[in-house]
Amino acid sequence: MARISIDPITRLEGHGKIDIFLTDEGAVENAYLQIPELRGFERFCVDRPAEDMPNLTSRICGVCPEAHHICASKALDDLFGVDPPPAAKKLRELFYSIFFVTDHTTHFYALGGPDFVMGPDAPKAERNILGVIQKVGMEIAGKVLKMRKDGHDLIKLMGGRPVHPNWGLPGGVSRGITEEMRAEIEARGREAVEFGLFGLQLFNDIVLENSDYVDLIVSEGYTHRTYNMGTVDEQDRVNFYDGKIRVTAPDGTEHAKYDPRDYQEYIAEHVEPWSYLKFPYLKEVGWEGFIDGMDSGVYKATPLSRLNAAEGMATPKAQEAYEKMYETLGGKPVDHTLATHWARLVELLYSAERWVELAADEEITSDTFRVLPTETPAEGIGSVEAPRGTLTHHYRTDERGILTSVNLIVGTTNNYAAINMSIADAARAVIEPGEEVTEGLLNMVEMAFRAYDPCFGCATHTLPGQMPLEVRLRDRKGDVLERLERNL
Amino acid sequence: MRTLVLGLGNPILSDDGVGIRVVEAVAEAADEGADVQVETACVGGLRLMEQMIGWDRVILVDAMVSGEEPGTVRVTDPETFPTFHSSCSHDTSLREALELGRSTGMHLPSPQHLRCVAVEAADVHTFSERCTPEVESAIPRAVERVLGLLAVTEGEHATA
Repeated sequence: MARISIDPITRLEGHGKIDIFLTDEGAVENAYLQIPELRGFERFCVDRPAEDMPNLTSRICGVCPEAHHICASKALDDLFGVDPPPAAKKLRELFYSIFFVTDHTTHFYALGGPDFVMGPDAPKAERNILGVIQKVGMEIAGKVLKMRKDGHDLIKLMGGRPVHPNWGLPGGVSRGITEEMRAEIEARGREAVEFGLFGLQLFNDIVLENSDYVDLIVSEGYTHRTYNMGTVDEQDRVNFYDGKIRVTAPDGTEHAKYDPRDYQEYIAEHVEPWSYLKFPYLKEVGWEGFIDGMDSGVYKATPLSRLNAAEGMATPKAQEAYEKMYETLGGKPVDHTLATHWARLVELLYSAERWVELAADEEITSDTFRVLPTETPAEGIGSVEAPRGTLTHHYRTDERGILTSVNLIVGTTNNYAAINMSIADAARAVIEPGEEVTEGLLNMVEMAFRAYDPCFGCATHTLPGQMPLEVRLRDRKGDVLERLERNL
Repeated sequence: MRTLVLGLGNPILSDDGVGIRVVEAVAEAADEGADVQVETACVGGLRLMEQMIGWDRVILVDAMVSGEEPGTVRVTDPETFPTFHSSCSHDTSLREALELGRSTGMHLPSPQHLRCVAVEAADVHTFSERCTPEVESAIPRAVERVLGLLAVTEGEHATA
């Protein structure tokens, strides 16, 4: 069995390396993406006070520190047996909604969008945010930067610090907002809703009106019929801050709905012998390998999964966009990987509407934003929807609150198996036995996993924006036969 | 000329935090005021570009992994340096981000007013709040380089 490797160049082991295994005939056997695991970080946390976690875990990632900060705060609520007052929950969710809009904006316009808007055949020099702007106009650049700036300013306003918030506590948050801040937040929120609508219109004009793109979205090479996971509120509508975790099956029926504290009853981990990676799967369904279908415990937790796992959106304009997406793509669930970008835009709109709703809530300027813990800590589990998927923090401490063990399941972890399957399938659809492997083919594979927006661990030193790649063709013994490279 | 000295890095990843350590020392030694400010950041791409908006000159300080002897200190041009510790798989490269910012009319340092004092790292994998000894010993030299860049007057700056 020969092997083609798409190997992003980094001297850091385990960051985003893809290996594609070929049979002796040159057909794609399988593909594997190496993603770094967080065991090193989990060990680093042991012996530290659990109360450090909102600040410590926000250092895992320079892109979604807010997700870790809020998730850690919730894990601390559970650890100390304290229920934050309603105003605290609303403040946290408001903050979180602002963060979600900002993060999804960045992903769509700077990362995932370019693949789409420019098309997979566009020269790689154009497949970036600059290419998008060239194609759709300079106006977009201004809107995107303004949305990011407004979002970041408000996150700093509420969270106390740019990038790494200093705000979440067990039992609530360290400060509330004044009426002046609230008015500012609401005004920016209304602009965010307009921006959300604009994004969906853009998607319609550039992508949906182009039959080649639509064919690409619905093509089999980019389709996976797996279980889907997301967090829902009491009416089974998407919620990013809190709720129950709901899993729906490939046929659309509900498979499970559980309190995040019970995750270990529903999720188990499969270990592949060739790597240190663990693949979460649904315990009750069982591990059947890297395959689709009702009998395979593989599941996805992506923006698209969240929409599949819910019965609707909790805000009106997002609900309309949700209905339109499913109508266009033939009903629920939608299994086309590239539709994740569309789902991301629906979520962006929902977050913006939720932002306005919460900013207008009469309790949001309340002075009661914290209750003090009184219980002795032992174990705490908290969960949120990070932009990239369901995020879970699980802490165990001694009676003083010093950590004895930490388990983190980040968004991307949920998607490990599905990402590998997407890469293998995309490779299968474009790599012909006997034909030369060219760079253009590898772009298709990269597109497949980029839709998941996978997390490569720490943002300060991952991959330059152009994804330098190395391809290694290996024989059965693992010896390198051939090597292709780009952007090294 | 308003100058921002920006230390980059993740303070819990061993040598990756050297940029932050260096600028903490610069802040003590330099005359901060309206014209010079010292800050830290743990971001790349678009976010990093956005931090630079409004400044005439920016001196970044960061760890670098390029095969040199750990502890080597050098001044680089971030816009031409090939694999710069300023990018992220969820983001753009710094070069793209700067191009984007400039093209939308943001006030950003011109290329000759953007420099990075880079310290070669030995270890950026291990979770630790301390740098390795080779990198630790490079901190004073890096501080000197930054102070040297700051001391250059406006007229001479283009050749720094």
